[in-house]
Amino acid sequence: MHNVESAASTVIFGWDPTWVAVAILLLVYGVIMSEKFNRAVLSLLGAGLMILCGVLNQQQAVAGIDFNTIGLLTGMMVIVAISQKTGMFQYVAIKAAKLVKGEPWWILVMLSMVTAVFSALLDNVTTVLLIAPVTLLITDALGVRPYPYLFALILASNIGGTATLIGDPPNIMIGSAAHLSFTDFLVNLTPIIPVIFIVVIAVIWFMFGRDLHATDEKKALIMQFDENAAIKDVPLLIKSLFVLFSVIAGFTVSHSLHLEPATIAMFGAAVLLLLQTFGQSVEEKDHAYEGIMAEVEWTTIFFFVGLFIIVTGVEHTGIINILAEKTLALTGGDFAATAATVLWVSAIASALIDNIPFVATMIPLIHSMAPTFGGAEAIEPLWWALALGACLGGNGSLIGASANLIVAGFAQRAGQPIAFLTFMKHAFGLMLLTIGIAHIYLYLRYLS
Amino acid sequence: MLAERIMMTHLVTAHVDESISDVLVRMRQAELRMLPILNSDQTVAGVVSTFSVLSHIVPDYIVSGDLDQVSYAPDMGILKKHYSEQARKHVSTVMERAPLLISKNESLLSVSASLISSGKHEYALVVDPTLHLLGIISTGDILEFLNSIQAGDANDA
Repeated sequence: MHNVESAASTVIFGWDPTWVAVAILLLVYGVIMSEKFNRAVLSLLGAGLMILCGVLNQQQAVAGIDFNTIGLLTGMMVIVAISQKTGMFQYVAIKAAKLVKGEPWWILVMLSMVTAVFSALLDNVTTVLLIAPVTLLITDALGVRPYPYLFALILASNIGGTATLIGDPPNIMIGSAAHLSFTDFLVNLTPIIPVIFIVVIAVIWFMFGRDLHATDEKKALIMQFDENAAIKDVPLLIKSLFVLFSVIAGFTVSHSLHLEPATIAMFGAAVLLLLQTFGQSVEEKDHAYEGIMAEVEWTTIFFFVGLFIIVTGVEHTGIINILAEKTLALTGGDFAATAATVLWVSAIASALIDNIPFVATMIPLIHSMAPTFGGAEAIEPLWWALALGACLGGNGSLIGASANLIVAGFAQRAGQPIAFLTFMKHAFGLMLLTIGIAHIYLYLRYLS
Repeated sequence: MLAERIMMTHLVTAHVDESISDVLVRMRQAELRMLPILNSDQTVAGVVSTFSVLSHIVPDYIVSGDLDQVSYAPDMGILKKHYSEQARKHVSTVMERAPLLISKNESLLSVSASLISSGKHEYALVVDPTLHLLGIISTGDILEFLNSIQAGDANDA
């Protein structure tokens, strides 16, 4: 988030800018939670009100938009939109199921691993969008209940997404706002993810794994899946993998090249768009570009744009500084207690509300704590606490993350609906367990 | 022209408690794609068609388009599994419960309009006020009848 130069604003009717900004923020967040209106429309309405009411002028509003986050999100969405057409997600999922000879429990483990890895390297929404239907096909062939598999998929997608800068939108926002590189995330967050994943899978075994059985005939059916038939476009697959690996390699060196990850992602997207349509006529190219652009989640992008402006408006009034002071007073200015508070509050909040607006609000709040704890570098563990809390917290309920709702939609269409309370009964405790592990990790690595 | 003039009265039917596989055999033998299903008191309960049976065999998550392709899946294994799950069930589990019902006194124009506006029906069941089956009219029957009239007119001319 950009720090906006303080400039006296003339708020409509001479109202207190703090109250106006907070009222707009609460109104927008409240209506978003009601899920009655599109969240992008609401955030843009809120952003417009911030300007029209005089909390921000237009220049300040535009300066508040974090274009690194917007660029990174858009670039990765384009790359994923092209890559998903190749069938590589389905190929890997089927290959994984066949590697374990159709054993139901190990298929659950393998599909969870595939989901976690793809979620870390791409985005978790696309990953579950492509892996969940294949999972339904596999469980159908096995004759087992899909719920344990879909449950594991949801948890794995959010756990995997926590591992990297690009895995989950909150991480992209945190990385951009705190100037944390892809490598910083790899060094500080990735190491704890396999531990969390293994613990979660072990618990899932006790919950469901022991009851997953299939006849030899059903296992043989899994071995009849033809992963090669899933690949739809080999040349495009090669181009996609080339760009994907180049972009990830670019992320790891972007900091030393003084490049933002957004630049790498957008450049990669442009190269892949060019490669995808190489040799085609102008009409075919235009058609292909329009198709890919239509697959970019513009709703999410505009949601971010509006959100950044709303949070900038609130930040501009100084209320965030007051909230930071109150939080510090609550924790007695103790760094470990502050980190723990950030971690646990983020987790609980992210389980119940959209973690993106929550993180957008927390970012300036954590920035405000920097002087108290000795500067920007000293508060780095607070960013890791926020990332772990916000991403892993998404596992706490069915509405905790977009990926959860997508899997629930598939389950509904498969005639195996996932009830909100059933999921929460199974997932909330597991989420708290993962936050407990994250807490121990943070304590041992940064706080002791 | 009234519906009763062109309706088929030589009917092949099935009962609600017959198995799907038995009904499919009867449809095959009679070279029909649909059969009226009757309750034990001989009133109309619904209609079963090859389409309605197939739509219960193919899982919803495949039909819904969540998978953009399924060519990599062992299709015969999955279809056989779902068919064997359905085959022994009563035909009432897959029948369409709201078929297009008409009275024998409806005009051909009215029946034709009902068939078109209902969208998914190619057949109308002609029933009496107590829902006992009197006959069936298909879109093909209507067209065949019109064609025969035109041919007759041409011959007369």
